[in-house]
Order: sequence, then structure tokens, then C-alpha cells
Amino acid sequence: MLQDILVTGLVNGGVYALLAIGFSLIFGVARIVNIAHTAFYMLAAYCFYTLLVKVQLGFVTAALISVGGVTALSVLCYRLVIEPVREHEAAVLIATIALALVFQELMLFSFGGHYLGIPSTLEGGVRFLGVSIPYQRMLILAVAAAMLIVVWYVLYRTRVGLAIRATANDLEVANLMGMNVHRVAMITVALSVSLAAVAGVVVAPVFVVDPFMWLAPLVTMLAIVVLGGLGSMKGSLIGAIAIGYIEAITVFVLPAGAYLKGAVALAIMVAVLLVRPEGLFGVVFEEER
Amino acid sequence: MIRTALLATALVVSSTALAQNTLKIAILGPMAFVQGEHHWNGAEMARDEINKAGGITVGGKKMQVELVRGDTNEIQSVPDATNAVERVITRDKVDVLIGGFRSEAVLAMQEVAMDYKKLFLGVGAAHSKLGLNVEQNYDRYKYWFRVAPTKDVDLARTLFAVMNSIGDQIRKDLKTDAPKVAILAEKAVWTEGLIAAAQKNLPAMKMEVVGLWQPSAVATDVTAELSAIDRSGAQIVFTILSGPVGISVGRQMGERNMKAVAWGINVEGQKEEFWQAAAGKAQFVSTLDTYAEVEYTPKTVPFVRAYRARFKKAPTYTAATYDAIMILKDAIEKEGTTNPDKIVAHIEKSEHVGTGAVATFDKRHDLVWAVGKTSGIAVQWQDGKKVPFWPPQVKGMQPFKMPAQ
Amino acid sequence: MYLARRAWAQLRNEVLVLPSRSAVLVWVLALLVLPLVYGDAYVLRILTMTCIFAIFAASWDLLAGYTGQVNFGHALFFGAGAYTTGLMSLKLGITPWATIWAGAAVAALFGFAAGYLCLRLRGSYLSLATLAFPLIVLGLLFALPDFSGGELGISGLRRLAVTPIANYYIAALSMLSIVFGLWALADSKFGIVLHAIRDDEIAARASGINTLRYKLAIFSIAGAAAGFSGALFAHYLRVAGPSTLEVALSFQVVIWGIFGGLATVYGPVAAVFLLYPLTEWLGSFKTFGELRLLAFALIVLLVLLFMPRGLGPWVRDRIEAQCPRCKQRNGAWRSACRLCGAPLKTEVSRSQGLVGHQ
Repeated sequence: MLQDILVTGLVNGGVYALLAIGFSLIFGVARIVNIAHTAFYMLAAYCFYTLLVKVQLGFVTAALISVGGVTALSVLCYRLVIEPVREHEAAVLIATIALALVFQELMLFSFGGHYLGIPSTLEGGVRFLGVSIPYQRMLILAVAAAMLIVVWYVLYRTRVGLAIRATANDLEVANLMGMNVHRVAMITVALSVSLAAVAGVVVAPVFVVDPFMWLAPLVTMLAIVVLGGLGSMKGSLIGAIAIGYIEAITVFVLPAGAYLKGAVALAIMVAVLLVRPEGLFGVVFEEER
Repeated sequence: MIRTALLATALVVSSTALAQNTLKIAILGPMAFVQGEHHWNGAEMARDEINKAGGITVGGKKMQVELVRGDTNEIQSVPDATNAVERVITRDKVDVLIGGFRSEAVLAMQEVAMDYKKLFLGVGAAHSKLGLNVEQNYDRYKYWFRVAPTKDVDLARTLFAVMNSIGDQIRKDLKTDAPKVAILAEKAVWTEGLIAAAQKNLPAMKMEVVGLWQPSAVATDVTAELSAIDRSGAQIVFTILSGPVGISVGRQMGERNMKAVAWGINVEGQKEEFWQAAAGKAQFVSTLDTYAEVEYTPKTVPFVRAYRARFKKAPTYTAATYDAIMILKDAIEKEGTTNPDKIVAHIEKSEHVGTGAVATFDKRHDLVWAVGKTSGIAVQWQDGKKVPFWPPQVKGMQPFKMPAQ
Repeated sequence: MYLARRAWAQLRNEVLVLPSRSAVLVWVLALLVLPLVYGDAYVLRILTMTCIFAIFAASWDLLAGYTGQVNFGHALFFGAGAYTTGLMSLKLGITPWATIWAGAAVAALFGFAAGYLCLRLRGSYLSLATLAFPLIVLGLLFALPDFSGGELGISGLRRLAVTPIANYYIAALSMLSIVFGLWALADSKFGIVLHAIRDDEIAARASGINTLRYKLAIFSIAGAAAGFSGALFAHYLRVAGPSTLEVALSFQVVIWGIFGGLATVYGPVAAVFLLYPLTEWLGSFKTFGELRLLAFALIVLLVLLFMPRGLGPWVRDRIEAQCPRCKQRNGAWRSACRLCGAPLKTEVSRSQGLVGHQ
């Protein structure tokens, strides 16, 4: 049973990490709690499904088009919907909720409410330490690791990353230094949503696709980023692994309580917040006046 | 001037006269989802068949059937459902209500319908409380009948009957004395009774219960549960699932090439879209079901064929709105009136040969359970098709297959 | 007679001078008179639900708008009220008229507990922690199905009144009293402290205000009001189920609150009165009724683009102007302030959109 927990926790943690890092990035830089983050993940999954199953393109082509398309859509949404109300935090919040609802209803309308399955990119599995792991999940882990390295590289080794980190640190001074903060915010949105879209393409074959699939990962992802600390990449990664393990432990130790895994993860998040109000590695923003 | 006035009056009078000769039936269901879709389709088939034959004969006159589409959106919102019921009763002035799906919502909808003393034929919600209300407060709730499915506790009887037959096959094929059963039930109130019944009855049926796993009804990942079940060496996975977790179970069992076979209730597994939703991996998943092209009743095969020809998919159990409308028609024609009290009295005493069941009702206005009459059938997914395999005495049944050991 | 004349003087001098207050008066009268004029059961049902949700939204605004504790899990209190009243009236046989108060009380306790857990949390951390609370309680409810009825909830609850008109009046009168009570609270010294807590809690603490007590108090009060609305809901639908705790309901009240305008009790109430019947009306269309949620979300998005501070403040700014000298509100058509006589229309250049926070 221990091997089960070790392996399952790691694999599920990897899945969550992909979603959490994008969300954390956009919050750290643009200070937007993007409720529609997992809705973009859903859109990418539907797009991938349509291209793969209906249009019969190959995996790689369908994946690239889905990720590209959803990223472009996110930038468009940002320009049209978020940017005009950027100064009003409250308005941004419900704008993202409303956007997520619009996507949900559009998918419900176009595809109906029933569940769709996306064929796995890689068939088959392997037995590791006595636990059977499908290749698709190892792919997810590999992709998550790769995206992490890409994000780290972009943030810490490129000029664009420098600009992003600078605006995250202090928006007004960055603006004074001549950086185009609007453009930087847009690039951050694109980067963050592209991570969600990659998650949609890689993770959706493991789960079922339906118009409401964005709600459950949203809650888990929020628990993770809060646990790890909003705005901290390292925190999100650790939070994702932690929540992955917590859920695995809950299911294996309490098989009749498997349905509680979400509630347990959230309860642990609340407990951590009581001790550390900014999460494990949270970035504390000075009250801006 | 006077002529136009007279003409107008004549038109109005004649149209109201015509209007009185229609029977308005509200079909209530979540119309944006599969369940509501089948509610409506089944009802349309009934309406077209009746109207083509001239209508319902009521004391010498013929009444056309008119359907009113009541989108309850009950999966997303219970108040939306009660609003819809009130709307179809007060705005659209319907005579009868048929449908419902989500038990929490139907309990609330039942209250509104009973307030207005309207006949409400339930097609979709299995919760016993709906029938219990009739027994405890007959005068208020007598207008409710559950046409489909059988109430939740009766489902258990069918499940164990089939389990027996699968168990016998395993004893023969695998040469084990006591097949091992893992119970995989979603965490929900409706499964509690079935779990308790399984834990009591399976040992008596000479089967060993190796464990109980309860994921959430909307869980999308059951690898942890399936890993543990694998380890336990179970040969049968007794599924009690109604939510999308059923799809995950089917798919992930196939991906892991599990030796165990899944049998039980898997509501998602009853739908045609299941195979695609499980990405073609749900081989050997078996579930309780209502409709297949077998001669369950003399009317089943023609109905399923006609439904498939018209709607390009096979009916699920919510399409029993067809049976509900036919029961109503019979009652109206035999009693010669649309008076709800008389219709209630008639349905209580009648037996109706429908497409999904041969229906008689007990004092809770629930279906009386009997194998081959209201028990439903069992189907198994083999190579992308739902293959019916039980009850074996019905014509059209095929053999049950086990995964390669 | 003296009272009548005094009431009339009050009316003329305080209420009718301002278009916004006159509008509120007309609305109150319309609400009270409606069933006598148009007794259609369906319309009464919609309006009853609207009144119940209006209480819910107003309580959220008090917490989020005035005190800055943006609560993403307000459904917790709604569900607490609904389940408490359901359990007590069904299992203990107590009359609903008593259990709704018990529901409000238990919800106030939940509010206290939630406030206590959130005392050290700020901003998004608070919002996301509050999001977790109803979900944790849902998990507990599912774990104890004999007590809570699991996914089906508790059904067969007794009604408060039998006829639709009586139910309507119960909801409308409760709504009017609670909303006006909350508004009076927000307008008092208590309300000023709440504003202070939202704007700069550290400064408020430095000024000697025990912000802890105020935060706990406001969580309890908002919880009580939301719990009351949940209890009314349970007895109206006669079912108290897990749908009273779901995330969608929490998000819905956030949308109503922000759409109507934060820190204005009338804003969210107006939003509910506008949006709930609208979505219900959209849903009644046979052809595109299934798109009601889409239409709702699009309307919210579009309105946000033009009225980012919310509907209430936007409308109010159109019909009223603030006097630059004495800061009192006047009808926008006036040329001079009704109190101090200063000219109302002065050229004030529009401030540029700032980059960064407000």
C-alpha cells in the first residue's frame, strides 16, 4: 500500500502542479485571481477533443493548435474584458467568474451535457514497485516537469521574464522604469493560460470531459496555491505535491472515505492558513495606497 | 364592422372549443442534458402515435395530446425546477405532469404538483421517499405515480439475481468456490441501502466481500481505488454508481487490464455515449438497464427500433415517458373522463403492458417488482455495443463474457 | 394627527427631495401592493424567491463591501440556516416559525467561527479560505447521511404559510425589515468603523478600534441574515439539500453583490431584483431557454464594462449629484444645492485611470 500511495500521490501531484503554477503566475504578476483559469483548461480539452476525434488530426498537431488557440483567445479576453476594468479589483473578480460561466454554457450548448472521452496519447502502462502506472500519467509528469523548467527559464533567464518579475515586485516603479506594464500583463496572461491549456491537452485524456469539468479542479487548485502561498512558484509546486499525497493517503487509508479527499485537502489548507496566514511560501504584498 | 366582430367572436369561440379538446401534458426534465432529451423524445413518440390514430377517446369525443416542454434545469438548480413546475401549471395550464430526474429536485417538485392536485407521473427518480409520501399521506400525495424506474430498494433484488448468475459462471470458468467481490459504490444516500444489502446477502450467496470503496459521485480519478481492488484479488467489482465516476471506472479498469469484471448499477454505462466517453476501453463493463432490442415485453422491440430510427440513438430509461403517456391514455379512455381522482383510482387497479415493463402499482404507487415484468434487464458492453444477457429466458439474450485471466 | 403631519413633513423633506429615495419608496409600495393587484401564483413565486435572495445578497454586501472581507463561501451561512431549520422542524417537531430563528442563530455561530478562523487572513487568502468552508461542511454532511440526508437533503418540511400570497408577504416583509436594518447598521457609527476596517485596518487598530470584535460581530450579523434567508428558502421549497451549500450559489451572490455595487446595501438588492426575474424569464422561452445562464453571464460582462463600480452607483450618479461644498446629495437636475445653495455644476476634470491599485 505504501508504494501505491507514493506513486499515486506523485502522479496526481504532477497533474495539479501544471494547473497551480499558471494560476500562481498570473496572481503574482497581474494580481488577478483568475477564476476562469480552469475554464481555459476545459476549453483546451474540448478543442483537443474536436481536433483529435472529429477532425482526425494527429496528436501533436491537435495539441499545438489547441494550446495556441486557447492562448490567443485568452489574450483576446484579457484585452476585451479584463483590461477595461483593471483598476476595480472586485469587477475583475466577477468578470473572470462570468467569463468562466460563458465558456461553460458555450460548451454545454455546443457539445451537450454528456461526458466525452479523449483517447490517450500513449496506450499501455508499466508496473513500477508493484503498482500499475499507465504511460499517459507518466507523460503528464514529464510534461509538468518540462513546463516547470520552461517557466523557470523564461522567468529567470530572459528579458521578458525579468520584466515580469519586476512588475510583480513593484508595479509603479516598473512603469516608471519604462516597461510597458500592459504588455507585460498580457504576456503573463498568455504564459499562464498556455500552461492551463497544456494541462487540458495532456490531462483531459485521463479524466472525462464535460462542461462542468472546470469546477472541481478549480477548488483543488485554489487550495494548492493558497497552501503554497499565492504568487510563489515554489510554493505552488510543493503545495501541489502535498495535496496530491494528502488525497492519495485519504483514499488508501480510508477506502470508504474516498469521497472525503477533497474536503480533507481543504481542511488541511485552512489549518495551514491558521498557522501561516500567507501560506507556506506566500508573497506578502505591501498595502498599496 | 359587425361582420368582422362576429367573425372574430366565432374564431375565438371555436379556438377555445378546439383548445378544450386537447390534453396538455408537461414533460419535465433537464432538457439540456441527456436525461431530459430522452424524456422529451419518448413523449414525442407517444404523442405522435396517439394523435395519428385520432387522439384519445373521452366519452365519445376525441382529444389531441399536446406536449409542453418544461425545462427544469434540476441538475444545476432545485429552485429552477420548482419554478418550472409552477410555470407550466399556472401559465401553460397543463393537465398532467410527467418526468423528473434528480431525486432532491423531484421531492420539491412533488410538493408543488400536489398543492395543485395535478397528476404527476414520475419517470426517472428512484428515491423511496416519493412513494413513502403516498403511503403516509394518501389524500395529498395520491396523484403521484412512479412509472419508472422501480424504487431503489427493489433494484437490489435484480442486482443480486444477476450477481448469482455471474457468480455461477465464475465458479465454473475459474474453478473457485467463493468468488471475491469488491464493492465500489459512490458516496450517496441512495447507495447506503444497497451496500448494506450486499454486505449481508453476498456471504449468504457464497461470495466473499473483500472490501468497500466509496469515491465521490463526481470523482474523475479512481486509480487509487482500483489499485487497492487489484491487490485484493477480487473477481467481481460490484458497482453502485450513477455519476460520471462510472465512466472513469470503466475506462481505468480497461486501461489497467484488470482481471475483475464490473457488474452493478452504472447509470453512465446505460448511455450510448458511454463507449466513446470511456475512450473505447470499457470492455466487459456490465450494468442494469431498461431498454434493449430484446422481447422483454411484446412492445419493447418495435419501440426500441422505432426510437432508434427516429432519433438515431437507443433509448435510456427516461424515455419511459412513452409508457407514462400510454398508461394515462388507457386510464382516460377506460374511465371516460379526465378527472384526476378517477384516473388515480383506475391506475391503482390496472396492469399496463408497456415498453420497458409490465406495470402494476402497489399502495405506495411504486412499481411492483417481478423478474421479467419490472426487473429490467442486464447488459454488458462488448466491443462497443451494449449486449443484453439477463434474464436468460427472454428472447434475444446473449452470453456474458469475462475478461481474459 | 400630529404624527401624520410630522410623517408627511418627514416624507417631503427627507425622502421626496432625492430621486433615489423616492425610487426606493415607490419600490417598497409596489412590493407591498403587488399581490392585491396581480395575484398570479407564478409571478408571486418568482418574487418570493427574489426577496429571499435579496436578503442573502444584502448580507454578503455588508461583509464584503463595507468590511472588505470578500467572502467566497457565503453559501455556508445560507446552508446552515436551511439545514438547521429543516432538522429542528422535522426531527424535533418544533414549529417552523420558531426554527427559522434557530436557523439564523446557528448561522450566526457559523459566522462567528468563520470570522475567527479568518481573523489573520487578508485579501485573496481570506476569499479562498472562505471558499473552502462550505465545501468542508458538505463533506461532513455526506459523511453523516443518517443525520443530514446525504445528497438528498431533508425533505417534507412544513411551510410557514399555505397560500402563495401569505408566503410572499412573509418573504417581502422579512426582506424589507432585514435590508433596512442592515442599511441602518451600515449608516451608523458601526458602519463607519466597518469602512475603516476595509480601507486600512492597521490605521484603525492604531486608532484604538478593536477590529477583532468588529470583524467577529459583522461575520455573525451577516451570517445571521444569510441564515435567515436560508431558513425561509428551506420552508418555501420544503426541501433543504446540499444545493444550499454549493460553490455556484456562493459565486452567484458574489456576482449579485459586485454587479449591484459594493458597499451599498441597495445595490445588491437591486441586482437581485433585476437579474433573478430576468434569468427566470429568459429560461421560460422554449427555444433558447437553455441558454439562460449564458445570457446572464454575458449581461454581467457587458454591464461591467460600462459600469465597473456596479449598477447601483452608476444609476445613482446619473440621477443625483453631490454638492461640492456640503457634500450632500441633490437631484442631478438642480442647479444649486438644496441645503447650502452652492452651484452644483462645476467643471471637475475627470481623473485618469491609474495604473495599479485603486
